[in-house]
Amino acid sequence: MRSVLIIDDEDDIREVAALSLEATAGWNILTASSGAQGIEIAAAQQPDAILMDVMMPGVDGPTTFGHMQQNPSVAHIPVLLLTAKVQGVDQRRFAGLGFAGILFKPFDPLTLAQQISDVLGWKD
Amino acid sequence: MTKDPDGKIEALLADIWQRNLPILRERLDLLDRTAAKASAGTLDEASRLEALSISHKLAGNLGMFGHHQAAESASEIEHILKSPSPETLAHFPAIAAQLRQTLASSL
Repeated sequence: MRSVLIIDDEDDIREVAALSLEATAGWNILTASSGAQGIEIAAAQQPDAILMDVMMPGVDGPTTFGHMQQNPSVAHIPVLLLTAKVQGVDQRRFAGLGFAGILFKPFDPLTLAQQISDVLGWKD
Repeated sequence: MTKDPDGKIEALLADIWQRNLPILRERLDLLDRTAAKASAGTLDEASRLEALSISHKLAGNLGMFGHHQAAESASEIEHILKSPSPETLAHFPAIAAQLRQTLASSL
């Protein structure tokens, strides 16, 4: 069974994304409300992918991703950025950082799992 | 992967929406207060940044629950507050009112 870690400071985003991925794809979902907590959980649980918000209090998503890249226990896990920003300048900025993909909020709870699978090339 | 043939996801989304209503109401109140400050010409930097963060969150959250028009209004507010000018701030109160009106039947 696939497992995905969701890192987002917003309770309802975490809850809806987890519900969506569990119900539509049957994946095992882990959640974290901060980048630091996310790194801890990722290192311990080794999820197949991480879905991470951009704007979080304290350490934001791109900075958390930088910390992950320097941590051998989690650097291999693909990270998808989840952002409400749709301006071209932000997309270009994030595209150069090495994320596995960028998904946009608001997302459709019924198709989120398919979007993640498409980006990561998951066939199952 | 499955869709939602038995409406299970829709029902759970409705439950999450209901549980998060108090937070949503607080956020709409904050945007109203900030819009009033903008209208009176007394918008300070701390209030702008707080409302910018709130509008960003609403722009990302509301669409998940099917409130796409409201999400669009929140996104317009976010754009205004990111780089405010007297001309753009003048539209803020009307958009905040529109956001609340769009959600009125779901609050």
